[in-house]
Amino acid sequence: MSDSKSVSNTFAKDSIEAIQVSFEDKGYICNTHIATAIFLSQSLGKPILVEGPPGVGKTELAKATSEWMEKPLIRLQCYEGLDESKALYEWKYGKQLLYTQVLKDKLNSVVSKADTLESSIEKLDNFDDIFFSEKFLEPRPLLKAINSEEGAVLLIDEIDKSDDEFEAFLLEILSDYQVSIPEIGTIKGKVKPMVFLTSNNTREIGDALKRRCLHLYIPFPDSALEEKIIISRVPDIDNTLRKQLVSFVQDLRKLDLKKVPSVSETIDWAKALVLLNIKVLEPNLVRETLNVLLKFQSDIDASDPEIDSLIKTPNK
Amino acid sequence: MVDFLRDFIHILRASDLRISTAESIDAMHVVSFTGLNDKSLLKNSLSQTLAKNLREKEIFEDCFNKFFKEGYMDIENMSGKEKNIEEISDAQEGIDSLNNSSPDDLEILYKKSDKNSLMTLMAMAAREVNLSEIRLFTQTGMFTRKIFDSMGLEKLNNDIFLAARTGDSEREKELKEIRERLRLEIRDYVENQVKLRTTNAGRQLREDALSQIRLTQADRSDYKLMSKIIKKMAKKLISVHSRRKRKSRRGILDVRSTIRANQEYDGILFKTIWKKTKVDRPKIVALCDVSGSVANVSRFFLMFLHSLTEVLPHVRTFAFSNKAGEVTDLFEAKEIEVAATETLLINGGGSTDYGQAFSDLEGFLENDIDRKTTVIILGDARSNYGDPRCDILKSIQEKSKRIIFLNPEPKSLWGTGDSEMLRFVPYSSKNKVCSSLVDLERVVDEMLRSNI
Repeated sequence: MSDSKSVSNTFAKDSIEAIQVSFEDKGYICNTHIATAIFLSQSLGKPILVEGPPGVGKTELAKATSEWMEKPLIRLQCYEGLDESKALYEWKYGKQLLYTQVLKDKLNSVVSKADTLESSIEKLDNFDDIFFSEKFLEPRPLLKAINSEEGAVLLIDEIDKSDDEFEAFLLEILSDYQVSIPEIGTIKGKVKPMVFLTSNNTREIGDALKRRCLHLYIPFPDSALEEKIIISRVPDIDNTLRKQLVSFVQDLRKLDLKKVPSVSETIDWAKALVLLNIKVLEPNLVRETLNVLLKFQSDIDASDPEIDSLIKTPNK
Repeated sequence: MVDFLRDFIHILRASDLRISTAESIDAMHVVSFTGLNDKSLLKNSLSQTLAKNLREKEIFEDCFNKFFKEGYMDIENMSGKEKNIEEISDAQEGIDSLNNSSPDDLEILYKKSDKNSLMTLMAMAAREVNLSEIRLFTQTGMFTRKIFDSMGLEKLNNDIFLAARTGDSEREKELKEIRERLRLEIRDYVENQVKLRTTNAGRQLREDALSQIRLTQADRSDYKLMSKIIKKMAKKLISVHSRRKRKSRRGILDVRSTIRANQEYDGILFKTIWKKTKVDRPKIVALCDVSGSVANVSRFFLMFLHSLTEVLPHVRTFAFSNKAGEVTDLFEAKEIEVAATETLLINGGGSTDYGQAFSDLEGFLENDIDRKTTVIILGDARSNYGDPRCDILKSIQEKSKRIIFLNPEPKSLWGTGDSEMLRFVPYSSKNKVCSSLVDLERVVDEMLRSNI
């Protein structure tokens, strides 16, 4: 027993490290928390609910995972009023209509041989009806993800924006990976898709949904991790500039701002600075380009007096 | 492993984490993948399975660190010997080495500074004596003794006795020191376990009691805890009611979407789509009696209403004893607790006059009362034999959606003495006895529920 335990233990650790390394190759730098979540989700076959402030790479994580698993990414953007016909399936009404036209012609030949009303009804009953069948089903993202032959990565983005009813309706899909269509029956997936749900916490997600998911919270990265992210995303950036930039952004997040700069905004800023061919941060330059980082005029005004003190000299 | 997890989840539940059975099963699966050896891996993965929001993650972290607290039986520090310390949690190895040496010879283990084995031995002894059942700190001594016994105290005592009889005072002293040090270690361990298991249990008990107590009886020293309870209740209500409910009654025909939806049917309009109107949240006007007898209830009710701004954006509150005054701004400007105290100071103190209060209220509201407005009156309806001015109440009732009257007195007292309650009853659509925090919560919940 001791052997099997230690084997599975190192196995877990190794897989988590392997995940980290291969994600890094794909340009997504993740810490052990994130890698552990991916590993657990794969081994338990459970969806991951990813929460965190906007712009820390919640959606990116799903994209990177799909790349890593070499499976298609199917994305479902949630919004208020999203319902089954947009998320799960829809009937192809046009084709169904054509089908009834064809059926009408056929029907005469089927029924014509019958003499009595009863026998014609019986014939009609035996007649194979495909009006409600998978042929006329238009799959939407959720059904697509479940039906896909080689598996898929399903991203249900911003689940907190959807209605409560939609959340309830997700429960069946997330726990059993199956879909009930009243006219046809239950469709069960061949390969379990890997599911990500993201939430910005505009409202609390229901307990029933949370219970079915692993819960991963991604906070803003620390400076070491953020530097690594910048290296991987903006490889052309100068070393000293990178250090300066990251420490500047990290300090900026400590100020009392309406919307603190996210990781994606740091990357944008770094790209902008590289484009401008800049080697060292200077107060004036920062003031001119700050609008890449901060999106509210009140935030820009609030941080203005702090800029000089926030910029660290490069030799530090 | 099962035992350990069950125990740990039990502790998490005691610390206010709601963990379902399904989640604990998941946790079992997780542990079977990760094993117990790698602490940080274990913590990461369990935190993802058991703690489902940021607050819960913090609690989880705290509990995990306490539960797996290291540093017991840290004999290296005591005896100054140099030896490699291995992971304490490495239970398997601990047991292995335990089997090699004689299991309950504490002296040898101590002298070898075998921290692992001692720790394991202690953990096993703790399980044997059901340490997880410990509830009170006064039980510390008893459990320490029980654990020590089960670890082999008797042998140690015998050795001490033997040494004393043979006159080997050197050895006796040494053994006694060993005994004392071990005892201290065990006591520390037990104390930590008590802390882990009981800190929350006591608080929970107190909270339960306080939320049931009659508010008029509440003690000033409990205010702090009670406002905490109110915040908790408010949070619960907000999460339940934060979504706007669609009106169940359908509105008028939505021509545009109907045409669009029926394109599939060759433009024959047989699938009709109706506009759904969103329900506006209720407008609430609250009039609270803050005279001595009901001041406490009003205080907490006001705090409650103003904690619910997320689901009740249109709240206007008035406080009165003999004259009514608006306190909405006060609550918006200041901390809820401070505002509540000030309200009582400014508006309280006089002798209650419902007639005056109603006419003041009517003056304040004039145009701000319509079919969406719910008027809540909180008070004991004791008007000191003054004219209760039911005519004004009637006109308010006619203009508003409904009147809810909350009375902290039990129904049997309504209408006795100077209570005008029975004269108010006909004008209000709901009359409720409301004397404890639980009552308050129920009333507010009902109010939010029935706004369709």
